[in-house]
Amino acid sequence: MNFDSRKIVIITFIATIGVIYTFRLFYMQVIDDTWTLRAQEIAEKRHEITPPRGVIFDRNGRKVVSNETYYNLMMTEADITHLDTVAFAKLIGWTPEKVKQRFIEIRVGEGKFYNKYSNKTTSNYQKVRAYPFLKELTLEEIAEIAPHLEDFPGFKEEPTSMRKYPYKSGANILGYIAEVNREDIVNDRYYRPGDNMGRSGIERFYELQLRGQKGVKYIVTSALNNAIEAFAGGKYDTIAKQSEVMKLGLDVVLQTYGEQLMQNKKGCVVAIEPSSGEVLTMISAPSYDPNLLVGKRNISDNYPALIRDENKPLFPRPLASEYPPGSIFKLVQSLIGLQEGVIDVNTGFPCNKSLVGCHNHPYPSDIMKAVQFSCNPYYYQLTKRIIQEGKKPNVFADAEVGLNLWAKYMHSFGLGQKLDSDITGQRPGRIPDADYYDKWYGHHQWAFSTIRSISIGQGEVALTPLQMANIAAIIANKGWFYTPHFVKSLGNSGPLPEFKKKNYTMVEAKHFPPIIEGMRRVVNESGGTARMARMSDIVICGKTGTVENPHGKDHSVFIAFAPKDNPKIAIAVFIENAGFGGSWAAPIASLMIEKYLKGKVTDSIKEKRILDAHLSSMP
Amino acid sequence: MRKENNITQDIDWPLLVSYLVLVSMGLMTVYSTAFDPEHPSIFDFSMKYGKQVMWIGVSLFLGLLVFLIDSSIYRKFAVPIYLFTLSLLVLVLFMPAINGAHAWLGFGSFGIQPAEFAKIGTALLLSSYLSNVNMHLQNVKTVLISNAIILVPMALIILQPDAGTLVVFTSFLFVLYREGLSYDPLILKITNAFPGIRFKQTWLGTHFIPIMFYVVFLCVITLLVSVNTFSFYMPGVAVPGIVGVLIALLLLAALIYLLLSRMSSRREKRRALLVVILGFVLSAIIALSVNFMFQGLASHQKARIEFVLGMKDDPNGGDYNRFRAMAAVGSGGFTGKGYKGASLSSVRSNHVPESETDFIFCPFAEEWGFVGSLILVSTYMFMLFRIIVIAERQRSRYYRIYGYAVGMILFYHFAINIGMNIGFVPVIGIPLPFFSYGGSSMMSFSILLFVLLKLDSQRRDVLY
Repeated sequence: MNFDSRKIVIITFIATIGVIYTFRLFYMQVIDDTWTLRAQEIAEKRHEITPPRGVIFDRNGRKVVSNETYYNLMMTEADITHLDTVAFAKLIGWTPEKVKQRFIEIRVGEGKFYNKYSNKTTSNYQKVRAYPFLKELTLEEIAEIAPHLEDFPGFKEEPTSMRKYPYKSGANILGYIAEVNREDIVNDRYYRPGDNMGRSGIERFYELQLRGQKGVKYIVTSALNNAIEAFAGGKYDTIAKQSEVMKLGLDVVLQTYGEQLMQNKKGCVVAIEPSSGEVLTMISAPSYDPNLLVGKRNISDNYPALIRDENKPLFPRPLASEYPPGSIFKLVQSLIGLQEGVIDVNTGFPCNKSLVGCHNHPYPSDIMKAVQFSCNPYYYQLTKRIIQEGKKPNVFADAEVGLNLWAKYMHSFGLGQKLDSDITGQRPGRIPDADYYDKWYGHHQWAFSTIRSISIGQGEVALTPLQMANIAAIIANKGWFYTPHFVKSLGNSGPLPEFKKKNYTMVEAKHFPPIIEGMRRVVNESGGTARMARMSDIVICGKTGTVENPHGKDHSVFIAFAPKDNPKIAIAVFIENAGFGGSWAAPIASLMIEKYLKGKVTDSIKEKRILDAHLSSMP
Repeated sequence: MRKENNITQDIDWPLLVSYLVLVSMGLMTVYSTAFDPEHPSIFDFSMKYGKQVMWIGVSLFLGLLVFLIDSSIYRKFAVPIYLFTLSLLVLVLFMPAINGAHAWLGFGSFGIQPAEFAKIGTALLLSSYLSNVNMHLQNVKTVLISNAIILVPMALIILQPDAGTLVVFTSFLFVLYREGLSYDPLILKITNAFPGIRFKQTWLGTHFIPIMFYVVFLCVITLLVSVNTFSFYMPGVAVPGIVGVLIALLLLAALIYLLLSRMSSRREKRRALLVVILGFVLSAIIALSVNFMFQGLASHQKARIEFVLGMKDDPNGGDYNRFRAMAAVGSGGFTGKGYKGASLSSVRSNHVPESETDFIFCPFAEEWGFVGSLILVSTYMFMLFRIIVIAERQRSRYYRIYGYAVGMILFYHFAINIGMNIGFVPVIGIPLPFFSYGGSSMMSFSILLFVLLKLDSQRRDVLY
């Protein structure tokens, strides 16, 4: 038998393999660029550099939020050749068990990834990646550890920056930052484990701006993630960019002073610059030192205590507490009455105490006096005219129409709704309308007499102190307001466009002067309810309120603006359980106004009385 | 008789040059891959390239020795050489395991891999044995002995274990095939034991290489299909994949029978039916058992097969090596990243493991791109064809068998090694001949080749 032909089989086989391999190589290397991209993914690592967060200044250029350098102790498991757990634990002042626990914690904290194709769940944890083992060590702390780190391969220090609040005030305005969780990372791929993000206040609202721009360095790395060289000579690298400087409308000195005044009291102070809508100060008392929530260690040490504190220091009262406004509401009622024409400036109502209780005061023969004396029966009758204008024969239908119109007026004052602002966490307050009462009493089952408490700012009406301050600002502006907001400018750009838009109320400017005159008298004339706010050199226009509180002592409230001509500051002070509005809220407002306008306080007796007052312990 | 000193004229220069080209390209790649700026000299013996220079030197010296020794000695001492390499294979089993295999026979800091040298012994004995039994390739004893020569070292290699070299030993089947060895004597003994069957020959025993292709093909298809289920467009029906394979085989058998019966007489029809039925039964048995055997594989070997067949995807886990290797090769582009420019497969970056031994094709392909890959594949093709040309021009059957053995061993290494770098073949660690770093492979392949060159240079001196 001759088997020579079999050499053809073998040669064909070899040649076929040769041809197939050549084509395959041509496809892989020349045609298909999947592998090139994959190679880039593998070897050309992005190294991200997180810039320090943006620095924040107050309106006078004082640094309110800055950054300080801290150190993280980074751990890369792949580099750990050996680890003397006991010695390491001793170095960082932990127990060996805690060290072991920490390793597990890091691994678990990375979460798991479910691959739907292979139907397998894998850990996100990567041995070659550096994870913070200890976070946020001070220079002193790292200085003790760093010299010994060469005995512990796989550990190295890395600088990081953290927030610092030189003034220790404004916690509820500024908010705090905390480490991102898995969900945050999934929602926004910008974040990497260990990054921080704003959790409340300005830090949260302006997160996208304040975080800046991460820099990216492309480097060729080895399988152990060691950098070998810059990729393409650094052609594609970008530099980390810190956020531009942020300037707030806040006056941090005023804020600090106000927080001092509010010590041992529960309540709020909100001050707005009427001509710009910038929030000058926003105090929530009691508050906390913002430095308490800097960094993971501080947060885990202090946050639980703060959240458990029955005085709720974390709760931003000025924008999230909804209180009945009390008598300050009469200002708005007056304006609506004038605009609707149900009264004129010289309309008087008898102080009929059978309608609603009142204190003793002269006859309110005009609107100025009504404001000055804060006459309850006057406003009962005024509001009745607004609600029951007689547009419909049926009293119930008439009330429905009247109340809805009234609610529309209120909304134009920014009440009963959240302000579209950079102030996060606002509550809308409550301005009841026909639908609201229909739910309670049924359609056409109610009229003014049913809902009369709203005429004096009690009952179903509720405002936030921010809204109260905004009422003062609106009156100071005679009918319009800029949406109250925190941020004055970011770098070279001014306030956001929506803060530059004037919001007009439904009340014309001509109706304001009599109300302002009434407010002037409240502070400056005998028979006014806020005589304690009077100052010899500054004309303050204000209105007190005493909010009935079914749970305890009345709340003391005062809103004001000053000076009367060309107002610079509009303010609302709300002190819980402090009693009559004129005795606590008004003097605090006057001190704040003086401090803001003159930079100092002259009446030290008034100041001392406030500082010494313990009002929060009152039932 | 020609004069002894004319030896240089009788050397097959094309083969020797292709050998030297591959060795140089290999050394160049090892130097680039393992390059350490602190030890820049290629003769720095503390580095892998320094050692490779040394191994090349040793190999060339061994080649010279081979040329100085009269070629008849290999035939005379085929049995002792074979037994010596076998004894090394036995000895190595008592060595401590490195990476889970008893593959290294250590002499101080140096070690050799006896499995590499066993190929030489087996090739020499097989050619020597088969050339002795003039034209008795169709007898049971010849079949048994020639297969035993291959199977004994294979058995010892299983014990190490070393899957790569084990596979390489199947290359000797091609040699047997070329020489016309038939397994018919064995098969007929079995088939004719059944009453009524009187085969004179079977296609199976004679054409075992095409059969092997068919079996491999069938196995791959079965593995791919058997993991799925078929519903045949009927909701709620789930037919296991293996049933689908059997149905396909049945249809194929029916088709073949129809074609055969059209052009045959009545008697031949009956025979065709028998053959088709037998073929179907054997195929079905293979298909059924391949699944069963697949489950019996070690889990990492199983996974590797699954990766190549695309049944599983785990680029950062079990399929790491192959995936990284492919990324390195594929990212080379047309002209490559330049010498010492491998960003994935250099030892410094270490993304591709074993990049100076089993995966040495990666740095080469990454640095030289498709142009380099084409040169390398062409050089190998040239060498392999040259070896076949040399084998075919021998008057002596002994020389021819040995030539084919060398050619097929090198071809196997080439096909499997490159195949695993481009994702065609599961990852089994075998070196690329003359290219990969390593003393044992360099020396053993060089000896294999130089013996062939020596035999070829004396081809006119022998008569049978």
